[in-house]
Amino acid sequence: MSMFEDIPVDVGVVYEGERIRKNNMQVELGGPKQPAKFELVRAKKMDEVEDGKVSVVGPDLKDLPEGGNVPFGIFIEVAGKDIEEDLEGVTERRIHEYLNYIEGIMHLNQRYDIWIRVSKKSFQKGLTSFVPIGKVLARLYKSELPFVEKIQITFVTDPAKVQEMYDDAIKVYDARDAKARGMKDDEVDTFYGCTLCQSFAPTHMCVITPQRYSNCGSISWFDGRASAQVDPKGPVFAIEKGEVLDKEKGEFSGINESIKQKTLGAVDKVWMYTGFGYPHTSCGCFEAMAFYIPEVEGYGIVDRGFKGVTVNGLPFSTLADSGAGGRQVDGFHGIAIEYMRSPKFLEADGGWDRVVWMPESVKERVKEFMPKEAIENVATENTAKTVDELKVFLKEKNHPVVQRWTEEAEEVTELEGEDVEGTAFPVSTATVATGGFKIIFKNAKIHAEKVIIKREKPKKR
Amino acid sequence: MAKKGLFVKAKELKTDVALVKNLELSIGKLVDDSWDEPMGPTPMPHISTLRDWDMKLLNKYKPFYMPDCDLCCLCTYGKCDLTAGKRGACGLNIADQSSRIVLIACSIGAATHTGHARHVVDHLIEEYGRNHSLNVGGLNVDVEAPVTRLVTGIKPETLGDLDEVLTYCETQVTHLLSAAHTGQEACNLDFESKALHAGRVDQVGMEVADLAQISVFDFPKADPEAPLIEMGLGTIDKAKPVICCIGHNVVPSVGIIDYMKANKLDSKLEVVGLCCTAIDNSRYFDRAKIVGPISWELRVIRSGLVDVLVLDEQCVRTDCSNEAERINAPVIAASEKNCIGYKNRTNDPVDEIVNDLVTRKVPGVLILDPEKVGEVAVRVAQKVAPMRKKMDVLPSVEEITKLAKTCRHCNLCQRSCPQDLNIPAAMTAAAEGNLKPLTELYEECIGCGRCEEACPVKLQIHSFILKAGQKFMLEETNFCRAGRGAVQDIEIRSAGGPIVLGEIPGILAAVGCANYPHGGKDVYDICREFAKRRFIVMTSGCSAMSAGSYRNEEGQTLYEEFPGSFEAGGVLNVGSCVSNPHIAGAAIKVANIFAKRNLRGNYEEIADYIHNRVGAVGLAWGAYSQKAASIASGFWSLGVPVLVGPHGSKYRRMLMGRSDKPENWEVYDARTGDVVNVGPAPEHLFQTVETPQEAMVSIAKLCIRPNDTWKGRSIKLSHYIDLHKRNYGRMPKDIHLFVRTMADVPTTMKDEIKDILDAKGWKETVIPDPTMLPRMIRKKKE
Repeated sequence: MSMFEDIPVDVGVVYEGERIRKNNMQVELGGPKQPAKFELVRAKKMDEVEDGKVSVVGPDLKDLPEGGNVPFGIFIEVAGKDIEEDLEGVTERRIHEYLNYIEGIMHLNQRYDIWIRVSKKSFQKGLTSFVPIGKVLARLYKSELPFVEKIQITFVTDPAKVQEMYDDAIKVYDARDAKARGMKDDEVDTFYGCTLCQSFAPTHMCVITPQRYSNCGSISWFDGRASAQVDPKGPVFAIEKGEVLDKEKGEFSGINESIKQKTLGAVDKVWMYTGFGYPHTSCGCFEAMAFYIPEVEGYGIVDRGFKGVTVNGLPFSTLADSGAGGRQVDGFHGIAIEYMRSPKFLEADGGWDRVVWMPESVKERVKEFMPKEAIENVATENTAKTVDELKVFLKEKNHPVVQRWTEEAEEVTELEGEDVEGTAFPVSTATVATGGFKIIFKNAKIHAEKVIIKREKPKKR
Repeated sequence: MAKKGLFVKAKELKTDVALVKNLELSIGKLVDDSWDEPMGPTPMPHISTLRDWDMKLLNKYKPFYMPDCDLCCLCTYGKCDLTAGKRGACGLNIADQSSRIVLIACSIGAATHTGHARHVVDHLIEEYGRNHSLNVGGLNVDVEAPVTRLVTGIKPETLGDLDEVLTYCETQVTHLLSAAHTGQEACNLDFESKALHAGRVDQVGMEVADLAQISVFDFPKADPEAPLIEMGLGTIDKAKPVICCIGHNVVPSVGIIDYMKANKLDSKLEVVGLCCTAIDNSRYFDRAKIVGPISWELRVIRSGLVDVLVLDEQCVRTDCSNEAERINAPVIAASEKNCIGYKNRTNDPVDEIVNDLVTRKVPGVLILDPEKVGEVAVRVAQKVAPMRKKMDVLPSVEEITKLAKTCRHCNLCQRSCPQDLNIPAAMTAAAEGNLKPLTELYEECIGCGRCEEACPVKLQIHSFILKAGQKFMLEETNFCRAGRGAVQDIEIRSAGGPIVLGEIPGILAAVGCANYPHGGKDVYDICREFAKRRFIVMTSGCSAMSAGSYRNEEGQTLYEEFPGSFEAGGVLNVGSCVSNPHIAGAAIKVANIFAKRNLRGNYEEIADYIHNRVGAVGLAWGAYSQKAASIASGFWSLGVPVLVGPHGSKYRRMLMGRSDKPENWEVYDARTGDVVNVGPAPEHLFQTVETPQEAMVSIAKLCIRPNDTWKGRSIKLSHYIDLHKRNYGRMPKDIHLFVRTMADVPTTMKDEIKDILDAKGWKETVIPDPTMLPRMIRKKKE
């Protein structure tokens, strides 16, 4: 028996990519033409929610002007014994997914930015009210998210009511963001692990904390929390933080145990906030890479979208290859862009004080979260194209790394040797000193069937 | 990476450190092994090196033979009757013989691509030197030659490196063909294993050809935004002289285009093409036009638009020269492999050749120097164009009506038609002055001309169809995206997340010949359906043209409607036949990029990875050449399933999995060493289907892989179930075989599927880290 037999149109994952063009649309809800629109999920007490109730405030679908554009809001109230305010955002994101499952509904964006179209075809098939749409949402929520025990949904098309609720929604979003960004790894007992990528990278596992996003940029701590609740045996699971072994570097006994188990011992120790020693492993689909530039003792950052070569002469593809595949490679660290907005971003290495170069476009995206001096101090492709230019730039700005140059001048050369091991950096080989002996060949015949020239590997220190 | 030998002889040499007298130093081979990836177990595999891997596949997907012919006529012992289990004079049975023919076909295919590559590489080395470096995608492609790295263990950097790779291929093809000699190989599976090897060699040969031409001719380099190329007879400017190139080897066409550019004639003439030469011309020169796929050869010639016909190699109709004579168009044969009986004029003065062709002293010439082909073709076209006035050989409507009355209604035309088109009915209508049924045949006809050969009263049936469909023919104006070449490493990284999370349910590769049951519409429909479903759709060769030959409701071709990048809903034309390894290469790079698996000489491990993880399916809708067989074989060998259309049964055997035998679907879980039943995923390695609807259902199902995350599996199943319901009107019967945990069940179908699972006695199982190789079971580190 199908879940949606009483709905006039089909419901299925296959409609997710459906595009509804202007000519085929019955009505447009929200979208760029409407200043006020929203979708909001709130957690309520059990007795505050009437399960299965769908209401419409303002004209229903059939009474909206054909081809028109109207203000719009979706307000969902959920209740359940395991529901907490922290899960509101994750629950809210499902609206996008579920609405798109409905044949003839296209949903774009999220929160205060939603843009929905209903197709003429589905309208003609009988999708003339928001009520069945609400029923679909309610059923999907309850079948997919077991923590949703009761749900009631309100669709709002009345302009004044939309405006009023929009103002409230904005406050909720802001508070939620402030809370999420203010949330600290120190304040929670549980982190989340994700092994979804093991389907392609069998030795990689992401550790997701409030202050460190998954490498792919698509799973936050909140997402992890929700997924682990829904399917505790699934690929996203809770990790008890355990004992704090090194607060500065971010070593936790719980993480070590979990990753050792999930990677069959290939990795048994992780330092969350550094690119050296035991850095978080890099899968294949990380959004950006932090790569150490030994000449200036700082990190460059490069994202997937950057087309040219970075300041050390290597493009993203080569740098990414140096760190990928679920390995821990010193100085090559796959990250999510969102992690750059976190105070824990490479904290043990000096955080933003250690970042020296990044593409302009990435800087634009994270500027708001960078310390003021860093905005000035970090070079981009427009200010430094080579390591030499970078050195000049950093000196000019008196970037914090410059101090290290003098302090540790002696150590620098040694470090270089270690840092370049097994990486894509050019390796200089020592020239063999000549002199002191003489070679004499007389009537010599030397024949070699094959001469193989191999690159000399630098020796481990 | 390898340099030829070195020989130094010094009679007397004095330096500060050395005194040398009569020194002879010789080095056989200088190998630059500075590539630090360790060599895998099987560099340059011989014909039996990967036999164990082949047998794993062949036991999982046992060959199912459908012999096209029950006799063996290959040696003078025969003909031998092999029906009902009989063995021939040499001892061979029908399974052996069928697989032997498969091996021969695949070897011919591999030889053809390798020969093509050899010609291109030798020519380019002569022109540009051995040290000319290769560049297929600039900064965004780190793994420039995935197939070559994987099979041979060589990382080619210069044209000279490709020479060595080809030497390997040539040796293998020789051994493979020799194995088909009478009195060798007594087991069909060994012939099959060798056919798979032919596929591997073929992929290398093709990759070499494309690497060389992309690098030297500056084709689009892994470019998602390669230009849109005008396509169709309607795009040809009839006021200009028209040079038409048919075949697969771009070198002579480059001669033509270079001559035009050097003499500022590039906007004064039209260079059009059919088959892969057309695709590669448009990668070299974005004003080159694509007329259409192979099945348009008779159409374009009989339409009379062509002033000069230049023929190179592969898939060129052998009657093109006769057809060209009928419209007074001079012919230039430009390939050693396709001399057409013409006199070799390579060393004659250009003026003389031009004069002979223009005055029709000779109908055609053989010229084996591409530069000379260029000059002769352009000058002849300029001179004959005004004289020919685009003479066509199509009869008038009145003539058709009159001639149709002479039809005897013997039905031989329909019987000889591979599409079984109802020509007799169209003839009857035409005799009564109604050309509509003939017009309808235009869309379905694949242009083979067999009807005319069969007609006892010699009616020019194909020309009748063309005349009736002339309006459509001359209105064909579409777009094909120029072949982009490789997939960027970066694109693969970006697609990684969406593949894992199920947002990209699979990869469909539409390749091969264009002899489709209903023009290219089926291919277009299939490609569009899957692009809309957010699969990645890759195309090449004639299929790439078919995909671009129709338009949506808003008048856009597929290449305008969907982006050209390797992303959900992308439609990518990789290029010509020899570009196919970019498709295999993308799958190979997935293993390298995500799992950091070494590629170098590491075939088995990577094939095992791809087979169990990368949800890619090949589709070759039309039947035709031996090259199609070897291309498919290269995909099978990597464990990638291939689907063929209604003519596909003529490939003589299928590689079918048995979903009713659970023991066939066991893999190791590399994490634990446990044996896990993963269900029939993918169910078949080589399968033929009758209709595009059936193809769509199969494609969705064949994208399923054992490693799918629950999210990925649920989305794959949604598409499979949805397509099955739409096309067969009911739920598939095997759905329980693909559900491992309840999370795999598509969100919106939970209740419905739960009932089915209960009825089938379904039990939950685990999602393993799947492998067929015991050596890949990981040792737990303590």
